[in-house]
Amino acid sequence: MIGNTPWTQRLLTAAGFFGLAFLTVPLLIVIPMSFSSARALTFPPPGLSLRWYEAFFGDSRWMEAMATSASVAAISSVAALVLGGLAVYGLRRGNFIGRGPAEGNFMAPLIVPTIITAIALYLGLAKVGLLGSFLGLVVAHTILNVPLVIMVLGVAIREFDQRIEQVAWSLGASWTYTMRKVVLPNLAPSVFAAWIFAFIGSFDEVIVTSFIAGKYETVPKKMFNELILEVNPTITAVATLLIAFTVLALAAVAFILGRAGKLKQTLV
Amino acid sequence: MSEIRLEGVTKRYGTFAAADNVDLAVAQGELVTILGPSGSGKTTLLSLIAGLNKPTSGRIFIGGRDVTDAPAQERNIGLVFQSYALFPHMTVLENVLFPLGVRKIGRAEADRLARDALKLVRLDGLENRRPSQLSGGQQQRVALARAVVFTPDILLLDEPLGALDRKLREELQVELKQLQRSLGVTTLLVTHDQEEALSLSDRIMVLDKGRTQQVAAPTEAYLKPANRFVAEFLGIANFVGLPDGGQALVRPERIRLSGSGAGKPARVVEAIYLGQMVRYHLSLDGEGARPMVAAAPFVGPAYATGERVMVSWDAADLWPVAK
Ligand SMILES: Nc1ncnc2c1ncn2[C@@H]1O[C@H](COP(=O)(O)OP(=O)(O)O)[C@@H](O)[C@H]1O
Ligand SMILES: [Mg+2]
Repeated sequence: MIGNTPWTQRLLTAAGFFGLAFLTVPLLIVIPMSFSSARALTFPPPGLSLRWYEAFFGDSRWMEAMATSASVAAISSVAALVLGGLAVYGLRRGNFIGRGPAEGNFMAPLIVPTIITAIALYLGLAKVGLLGSFLGLVVAHTILNVPLVIMVLGVAIREFDQRIEQVAWSLGASWTYTMRKVVLPNLAPSVFAAWIFAFIGSFDEVIVTSFIAGKYETVPKKMFNELILEVNPTITAVATLLIAFTVLALAAVAFILGRAGKLKQTLV
Repeated sequence: MSEIRLEGVTKRYGTFAAADNVDLAVAQGELVTILGPSGSGKTTLLSLIAGLNKPTSGRIFIGGRDVTDAPAQERNIGLVFQSYALFPHMTVLENVLFPLGVRKIGRAEADRLARDALKLVRLDGLENRRPSQLSGGQQQRVALARAVVFTPDILLLDEPLGALDRKLREELQVELKQLQRSLGVTTLLVTHDQEEALSLSDRIMVLDKGRTQQVAAPTEAYLKPANRFVAEFLGIANFVGLPDGGQALVRPERIRLSGSGAGKPARVVEAIYLGQMVRYHLSLDGEGARPMVAAAPFVGPAYATGERVMVSWDAADLWPVAK
């Protein structure tokens, strides 16, 4: 029993705080720097200003990257939600030969090193002539996001009593009607969470995007490229915006799932 | 309202037969229970009739119509599970309205039918509650109302009272039987509880390892079991040797005890008070280790542990059972 004796408990707490600090210190440096008035990256900032935010929003290339990122994330997250949702429903509810390998195949992008997925997608998209195209980018991000959807919805479907669906069928409801009126309303919080995860997953993606995006710039890809060329404080503003967006989105997920969780507790 | 007929129904998972060549005919308005231990194939059989699963071979008829290949949606069956399986996001009334909405029944008519069904299960007044705000017994009543509100051809109940505590279960057994009789709906009820099967059924089908062991009225199954498995599953079974070397069943209530007189001498190993009855475990002189069990009304003479008694029974109460 770890954590039963006081000193192991204290050690664990200390380790936890250390880990948390290790993860948040970069944020504590980046966020103040983004509001710096200085021309170059200096810490602590000599004064406060919004100049790097103005630089970001005033730069048409950044705005273009933003638009690309947003549209790729929007389309690929919805595609992953629909395809992953149908796949995981089949995986959880179906009873067919080859279910294990099929699930492994869907989960692979999350398990194998990203660089391997990147090379595979590079070769695959080149073969079908989609390398460097917007559609290719969307397809790649969809494939990358499907495992996230499968993970989140897989748990939700497993926890939802299949007999509820079976009763709906026996009462005369078609499969699609049951989906719409019974399954989805009960799974809505998890569907929302899966969509957010997929959206963030796409918005943050840089490795695969760098391989296959060609002339298209997404926000993370542009950040990466800018860092290599010159250290421009605009990046700290972009990073801060990304952090804010991610934190807000995850907070929304926590809120929705928390409410559903409370709902579930009252059900029992 | 229709009869159910199964002809040679078999369901295999690989080489394992969860239902093995099952024949059954349930008459219109009849209540038949499928009784068997856990894993004997009861749920499998019910899911085949409901259309949630396809048999490997055999035919299923409801009201004379071959439904073997019909989807669950087209079978017009009321289905109730042990886990209630209510729609958690809907109110009680919405749950009961669901099958009527699917059937495109007008708003006013549907409302009237749903409220009538809820009255039938004594839940009027709780229309706007959520399932999570109801007790187990109330939830199962909602499930029952939802299963009968659209006048299904048949009713299938899979251990409907299995999740409830004993007292509530006995109450609901009576209600269920009355409801079934007043609706006159052909009903198959699955249970692993022999008392429930004996008290509710017109007939009992005993199942073991996917195979039918016997289909008979409760008293017949209890007193004249088709084999040793049925004899032991339906209650306490004493076996006595027959002159021809065979074995015969004698139920505990048919065994007479006396302080003196005719019979076989025995010693009381244990006297267990059960309220209405006293159960005696008896060791017959010069016989094997397995004690004989007798049950006597509490009002009769009582015997204490260790006391010597004479044991007897009528030849007419013996039922020969194959080993
Ligand atoms: N989908 C399935 N795949 C493999 N075996 C199954 C499946 N469904 C049920 N079985 C097996 O069939 C047997 C009967 O199961 P079931 O009908 O649920 O029994 P019961 O309801 O009498 O407890 C069990 O041994 C069970 O393991
Ligand atoms: Mg079962």
